[in-house]
Amino acid sequence: MATTGSQPSPTDLLPLSGRGTLGVGFPARWRRGRRLPPFVIWAPALIVVLLMAMPLVYLVLRASEAGSDVWRLVFRERTATVFRNTAWLAATVATASAIIAVPLAWLTTRTDLPLRRFWATVATLPLVIPSYVGALTIIAALGPRGLVQESLAGPLGIERLPSIYGFPGAWLTLTLFTFPYVFLSVRTALVGLDPALEEASRCLGRGSWRTFFGCVLPQLRPAIATGALLSALYTISDFGVVTLLRYDVFTRAVYVQYRSSFDRSLAAALALLLVLFAIVLLLAEAAIRGRSVYHRSGAGTARRQRAIHLGRWRWPALAFCGAVLALSLLLPLAVLLYWLARGLSGGAGADRLWSSISHSITAGGLAALAAAIAALPVAVLAVRFRGRLSAAMERATYLGYALPGIVIALAFVFVGANYLTPLYQTLGLLIVAYVVRFLPQAVGAERLSLLQVSPRLEEAARTLGRSSLGAIVAVTLPLARPGMLAGAALVFLTVMKELPITLLLSPIGFDTLATDIWSATGSGSFAEAAVPALTLIAISALPTVLASVRGGRSIDRPALPSAPAMRQ
Amino acid sequence: MIAESLAPTEPTDVAAAPPGAHLPDGKDHPFQDIAVRCVGLEKRFGPIEVVRGVDLDAERGRLLALLGPSGCGKTTTLRLMAGLETLDAGTVEIAGRLVAGPGRDEPPERRRVGMVFQDYALFPHLSVARNVAFGLARRHETKRRMREVLDLVGLADFAERMPHELSGGQQQRVALARALAPNPAVVLLDEPFSNLDPELRLTVRREVRQILADAGATAILVTHDQEEALSLADRIAVMWDGRIIQTANPEELYHRPVDRRVAAFVGDAQFLPGEARGRRVDTVLGPLPLAGQAEGAVDVLLRPETIRLALAPEADPTNAQVTNREFFGHHQSLTVQLDAGGALRARLGSYGGIRRGDRVQVSVRGAVLAFPRATQPDNSA
Amino acid sequence: MSGAGRHENRPTSSAARTDGLTRRTLVRRATAGSAGVGLALAAGRLAAQTPEATPSPATDASPAASPAMLGASGELVTYSGRNEELIGPAIEMCQQTTGVTAEVRYGQTAELAATILEEGDNSPASLYIAQDAGALGQLAQEGRLAALPDDLLDRVDERFRSPDGVWIGVAGRARVLVYNTELLQSSDLPQSVLDLTDPSWAGRVGWAPENGSFQSFITAMRQVSGEDETRAWLEEMLANEPVVFEGNGPIVRAVAAGEIPVGLVNHYYKYEIQAEEGRELPVENHFFPNGDVGSLVNVAGAAILADSPDQEQALAMIDCFLTADLQRYFAETTFEYPLLDGVPPAAELLPLDEIASPDLDLSNLADLQGTLELLTEVGAL
Repeated sequence: MATTGSQPSPTDLLPLSGRGTLGVGFPARWRRGRRLPPFVIWAPALIVVLLMAMPLVYLVLRASEAGSDVWRLVFRERTATVFRNTAWLAATVATASAIIAVPLAWLTTRTDLPLRRFWATVATLPLVIPSYVGALTIIAALGPRGLVQESLAGPLGIERLPSIYGFPGAWLTLTLFTFPYVFLSVRTALVGLDPALEEASRCLGRGSWRTFFGCVLPQLRPAIATGALLSALYTISDFGVVTLLRYDVFTRAVYVQYRSSFDRSLAAALALLLVLFAIVLLLAEAAIRGRSVYHRSGAGTARRQRAIHLGRWRWPALAFCGAVLALSLLLPLAVLLYWLARGLSGGAGADRLWSSISHSITAGGLAALAAAIAALPVAVLAVRFRGRLSAAMERATYLGYALPGIVIALAFVFVGANYLTPLYQTLGLLIVAYVVRFLPQAVGAERLSLLQVSPRLEEAARTLGRSSLGAIVAVTLPLARPGMLAGAALVFLTVMKELPITLLLSPIGFDTLATDIWSATGSGSFAEAAVPALTLIAISALPTVLASVRGGRSIDRPALPSAPAMRQ
Repeated sequence: MIAESLAPTEPTDVAAAPPGAHLPDGKDHPFQDIAVRCVGLEKRFGPIEVVRGVDLDAERGRLLALLGPSGCGKTTTLRLMAGLETLDAGTVEIAGRLVAGPGRDEPPERRRVGMVFQDYALFPHLSVARNVAFGLARRHETKRRMREVLDLVGLADFAERMPHELSGGQQQRVALARALAPNPAVVLLDEPFSNLDPELRLTVRREVRQILADAGATAILVTHDQEEALSLADRIAVMWDGRIIQTANPEELYHRPVDRRVAAFVGDAQFLPGEARGRRVDTVLGPLPLAGQAEGAVDVLLRPETIRLALAPEADPTNAQVTNREFFGHHQSLTVQLDAGGALRARLGSYGGIRRGDRVQVSVRGAVLAFPRATQPDNSA
Repeated sequence: MSGAGRHENRPTSSAARTDGLTRRTLVRRATAGSAGVGLALAAGRLAAQTPEATPSPATDASPAASPAMLGASGELVTYSGRNEELIGPAIEMCQQTTGVTAEVRYGQTAELAATILEEGDNSPASLYIAQDAGALGQLAQEGRLAALPDDLLDRVDERFRSPDGVWIGVAGRARVLVYNTELLQSSDLPQSVLDLTDPSWAGRVGWAPENGSFQSFITAMRQVSGEDETRAWLEEMLANEPVVFEGNGPIVRAVAAGEIPVGLVNHYYKYEIQAEEGRELPVENHFFPNGDVGSLVNVAGAAILADSPDQEQALAMIDCFLTADLQRYFAETTFEYPLLDGVPPAAELLPLDEIASPDLDLSNLADLQGTLELLTEVGAL
């Protein structure tokens, strides 16, 4: 009985009854036989989806060039190892993210934990740290001869810490920088959960623990699955962390293939395997999520729930929050500041920094805007014109998220240089490539917020004389604006961090904060990397913090892009 | 239908019919008096036939209730009229204009229907005034009309409020005002009272009835609540399993339901087996006069208020014993166990000293309706 | 080679085009002030050199054969796999002297090579600067590089240029064993890199298996010593517990700090770090003698793309890299080995011809794949 807030409606069974379900629970066939979506919706959606499919077509094209070599590559032993490693890493990162994120989300929504708002904001911030920067700082801190070991070596005489390289480091780093996906998703779900169920459980004699495990946790399953999926998708497509920390997974194999043998065909074949892997993940998530109905989404007035009194438990709870903060945020920041302080050489001038900042913000802003717009028709189709086709179109947009950046970058290099020559290496094509890579984040957020807008509202507008499109414009879009903003913010901050696409597709001389970091670390001058890294983190953090301050009036509204956002 | 043949040929104790109710059926009305005419509506969702051939006429200026249990297809029928669903077959005419039918499917915005949704569907980002003005063309009368309608629903002082700042009843009236503002040919109300508290519901119902009457609007109300339909509507269409099984005015519907299902749905119904012989039926209560004619095994419809009880000393012989008594103030409900087997409920006035355990004589007031014996017990009781 | 073959098809159209563009360039030059002087200088230099060149079919076809064609449209699009901090100032200097305006895309050597392959005929790039010879060898193999004039090629030792004459090294670096002079004497050091497997070195050697230069060294070892021996060496090294670093710089710092006595690095890190720290460090480079694979000399190189529109400018740029000024810049600023005859390396460096580097074709270092697999298999990665 997961549908909260929807008292069993006495109306007809099939049609859209019950106010809480908001038109999500009923079967897809409901929409069949409806009028076709307006041209202005399905045509752009189709274009967007074709664009999203482009890298895949490119991969298939390239992989097919390799001929029988592909099979040798696919069936060799190392592929199996890489596959195992990838699966293991994705699974453990997702699990650990959930283990960190679920208690955090619960503590910040349901208890009297001191500084709840602060913790809730802080828990989303690791998202703004580029994972390669995160990995570098983790190595600097925990690696051999790292800051931690050096400080331990003196007083305690500890010569060697356990090695950070390989699985432990990759797992730790990815967990620390992706758990916010689960946190956002679970927190949103917790906020939307009808407190009455928990109250009922308490009244039936279950304590807060048993209520949490018996009543809350099962209802959070879809949210956890969604967040974990994002964290896993991020893990399998991330390259920086696994390279720096040396763990042999698919992205690394793909890069190694490009880097070492310059063999694009075999690299494409490996990338296709990665796509298959991502598809399996998406299906698994769908299965875990089950046929759960979307929970109440602030349609009615959610009652404020009495906070659970933590009592003595507040200290361990605070220690837990503090530990997460220390590892995921303070540690990278401290290392960057240490580098900054140590770097006595002047480094790049302020001019260069300003131009990088303006490039980063331009690219991020335009991409965010473009993604928010491009996601709309897809999200509207998926929510308002449910059916197999619109679902397939929505799913197709997730492919970009599963592909390593280099694959998308090279696909656009190929198409851009050969078929869109005038656009090649222009800001325009760069933005398009960003959109392909990060669209799912915008689609997810917009889809979620469209789901929260009852279809009744559009119908009301129709009976009052608006056309199908007119109703969407007059009613749905204004109401979905928070979701569009959230999606745009998420795209903005991921574009700011993006590297491979930026390096290969930006207009020449278009240096961004991310490329500055890369350039500085490439020549080994971490001190010089510290400035752009800190700037990037500060700029990306801004929307997150602002969003949480604005949303702060009701603590119950999560600050950023909720991740169910990403898939529902 | 046998039920039809059993229907009473003359009124027994039916109150005077309201003006217009004596007209046989909508189809015989002069054309201009029909606001909405549906013929042969059909709609299926996948394998499920939800609406299977619905004929329905709504007279201008009157309130038609579409009454039926959950899942009978009444909301879908309403949405078919509004154009929120597309027809599989049939035609819809609104104000004499074909809006849906073979080769024609006007979108909702062109049908001149006003709709009041179950959850009101007020636009949360717009003030009351802008909600009401939403359906009005951008002309200078917009404001005047908006005022006018808000006055009509008694919310003139709330124009600048946001929807969430209103009570449920007020939201309801805003939704109605919004639907009425563009002067629709018909207002469609989908379970408009189901989200209200029971105490509030009665008041709001009266208000809505009054507002609709003042506006002279034609309305179609979908409801599963027979009391709501009986008390509000000028005419009621009972829908069952995708079909309209009876269209009548409230009194006729209550007193002369066409079959057991309708009888049980529109009121408290109990059935007593009997053997019909022409205009008379033999039951354990003795022979009862039959409204109409029938032969063979039948079930006799007994409404609790038609059952009379007489206390033992005066009445002899007694044929039942009182097993339960519930007192409701304005009336009381007594359950009696018949000596011949079976139990009946009787509804009596507030006074009368019958108590639990008393021996009574059970008799029936007036002529009774009888339906052919159900071959298998139906679930409507 | 196919690169040269493709190249031969181009001269007429390319010459015609550049002729047309020269006039525009002249106008630009007139307004460009000092840059124009630089161009004139560059043109003069090439003009002075080309007549002495032995005309081969390839050079005949090269637009650079005629000084009049020097200088073409707009900016020279350059893809650089070398880091901006290392090559940026050199490019800047060459813009000054040649008048060519270069637009540089910085990226990873291999990814830029993949990009050029994807771009096909439409690549906007004219000049490609690579961190190592392997990527250049790959592009050469795909027929994407234009032949370079012999006079240019002749400026560097044939060890450091393409056997087909399509790419040329601009700066060299040697693999060395860096050691702490306070902990060890040069006489304590092994005569071959292969000897580091001796148990006496257990836990004392720093290496960076992630590093591209290290991997090139392993590739070279596979070529020189064979697959099995390389594997055996790696396994024995691993058994000897080398200390793993992220890169060469940290190894040199660790050696300087006395954390470990020796490390496998490129020769120039010692100087870079000394320059950065502003003091002499107790570290020294040890070159393995006798053509030991441990003293491999690799190059950073440059090449012109066969399909490029601005071959002349690209050529002017490479030409500039191989002038005494620039070679001195590399020697003094990046502490790399100048490859131009007559330019001495930084004073502290062992002269290039005294390094007994193994005899092998640097283009063959393209087989990084096998190296990575080997490193992964033995567990070094």
